[in-house]
Amino acid sequence: MMMLECDAKRLLASVGAAVPAGAVWRKGEPAASVKVAAYPVAVKAQVRSGGRGKQGGVVKAANATELAAAGKKLFATEFGGELPEVLLVEAWLAIEREAYLSVAVDGRAEGYVVLYSPVGGINIEEGAPPARYPVGAPWNFRVHELRAVLEKVEPDYQWREKVIALAQRLVRTAAARDCTTIEINPLVKLADGSMIAADAKIARDEWAHFRSEEIAAERDAEKARADEYLRACLDMQHMYVKLDGDIGIISGGAGMTMAAMDMVAEQGGRPACFLDCSPGPTSTRGYRPAFAMLDADPTVKVIFVSVFGGGTQMQRVANSMKEVMAERNSTKPVVYRLDGTNIDQVPGIFAQFGAHNHASLEEAAAAAVKLAGTRA
Amino acid sequence: MSILLDRTNRVIVQGVTGQMGQFFVEDARKYGTNMVAGVSPGRAGTTVGDVPVFASVRAAVDATRADTAMVFVPPAAVLGAALEALECGCKLVVATADEMPVADAIEVRAAARANGAVFVGPNTPGLISPGKAKMGFMPSFCYTQGNVGVISRSGSLSYEGSKRITVAGIGQSTVIGIGGDPVKGTTAAEALELFHQDPDTHAVLYLGEIGGTEETFVAEYASRRGAKPVSALIVGKTAPPGKKMGHAAALIGSRAEGHAAKQKMLRDAGVFVADGLRQVVAATQAALASRKQTASVA
Repeated sequence: MMMLECDAKRLLASVGAAVPAGAVWRKGEPAASVKVAAYPVAVKAQVRSGGRGKQGGVVKAANATELAAAGKKLFATEFGGELPEVLLVEAWLAIEREAYLSVAVDGRAEGYVVLYSPVGGINIEEGAPPARYPVGAPWNFRVHELRAVLEKVEPDYQWREKVIALAQRLVRTAAARDCTTIEINPLVKLADGSMIAADAKIARDEWAHFRSEEIAAERDAEKARADEYLRACLDMQHMYVKLDGDIGIISGGAGMTMAAMDMVAEQGGRPACFLDCSPGPTSTRGYRPAFAMLDADPTVKVIFVSVFGGGTQMQRVANSMKEVMAERNSTKPVVYRLDGTNIDQVPGIFAQFGAHNHASLEEAAAAAVKLAGTRA
Repeated sequence: MSILLDRTNRVIVQGVTGQMGQFFVEDARKYGTNMVAGVSPGRAGTTVGDVPVFASVRAAVDATRADTAMVFVPPAAVLGAALEALECGCKLVVATADEMPVADAIEVRAAARANGAVFVGPNTPGLISPGKAKMGFMPSFCYTQGNVGVISRSGSLSYEGSKRITVAGIGQSTVIGIGGDPVKGTTAAEALELFHQDPDTHAVLYLGEIGGTEETFVAEYASRRGAKPVSALIVGKTAPPGKKMGHAAALIGSRAEGHAAKQKMLRDAGVFVADGLRQVVAATQAALASRKQTASVA
């Protein structure tokens, strides 16, 4: 889960990385309440999506009047569909050069990787790929190994040694604080040669919530931002991504859910969501909020239940469907495709409430697409 | 033959007295898994089914010569349990938990290497060598013994894919779930290497997803001289970029991690790529047929 820049910088500062002096400005607070030591300042929208710089999310303010105007504008602008709740007001930096440094979890590296590019900034993705130091387990980080990698791309040895020292600290921090990405872009060299993190993105591992107050709080905040229907689903650990179609998919397992989405598209339809209910209870308690959310969503015309269970036993899922259908008010049609453990018990249970279980994913998807077409 | 798992593995279950543990013991034994002991601190001296329960892996291993561990404990406890099994000499450790912190997975993977053992997981249904043994809760009827090795990033998709080829008469040597997390106990590269060494595996079916770089391993293997033929399915054609599709690793972060780029990379490497689930059988048949051709030429 992505942290806001202001929170990411607080974490960096806590492990001794230099960040600009800044003040947090919350929505609704008057501009005059923002503590500014000296102008000019950078006023930065705090949003979780990327590409903020290119969308005008950073504004320079030379005085109090400009600060107020910048705040008014930024609080009213959406960035990647997100309206900022917080702005970060920082000292404007006299930048001599911009580099890029990140530490991230990487499968090929079997752990962490350090990425460095001598040229950073908002166009980082268009330049040459960064130099790569596969660390693996965090205790395998070696200063001399990173130095050997950086010598090929970074001629300024004084700067290089600072980068190495910072990278070492970031790898330890990533492991100790359950960060899956710590990205500093740009990593700035000021006129006096000092190093400072002008921007920072930190993603935390949500599964470490049990040992991190901050991650647990971020999970709660994410739920608080959701509407009541989605919140009920998130409480059941369901994973949801909204898509732009009209066939709502309730499934189990990430791969199976994507396979169902793809099959709907193959049959000429459009999936309305990715909704993976497998992490939560596969009982009535688990499926009830999933149906409630899709029933309440006006873009969803048909609900397509596609579950292929191993540990999830199909007679339990079928009984849950029976219970949910009995208490449901919506008339949106539901198309079923269940398979897996104890599938032989499903037809008997479905017969009790007039449901039909399709024999294959393609047959069920075709039926869902056909129904969606008649409800245009 | 098969990879990693057959009737000779002597299996313990950590967290055996939990609901999943009890279900697994019964189901896996019925299938043929050689279940020798359970571990549950505080429950030594009891039994699950008629499997004896011990308080520690050390006690279980000493009493039963167990060499394989199935970890069914809550996500926060997997690190401790897996390290215990590895340090007591278990050569195969499987953890199915789907909410294990990645920092813990990194540590278990490193420990497996240091102990000359194999870790499978996290976030996986486990593995099955059809007709021999299973370690996980995959539905047994989806599988039949044969010569295709199956590697999958997703549990339920591996059931679906395996059932399709089973129904078409194509059996499997071993089906291994490598899991949906970014750092895996066993990577696609390592699973491919194991299948490469297994004389009874004639072809490999790889079930992948958008996001991450696991598929580059598959392409690298397929382009190698003397590689066994590989068929593949990549799901997530309709997944939008920048969104995590359930699995932590199923996120299209760059164009190379998207569906079209992965399919192209695999095709260019000589993989028989199924364009959707409906083509999985045909792609796998084509892979098997290409082996026969190569064999007859040789």
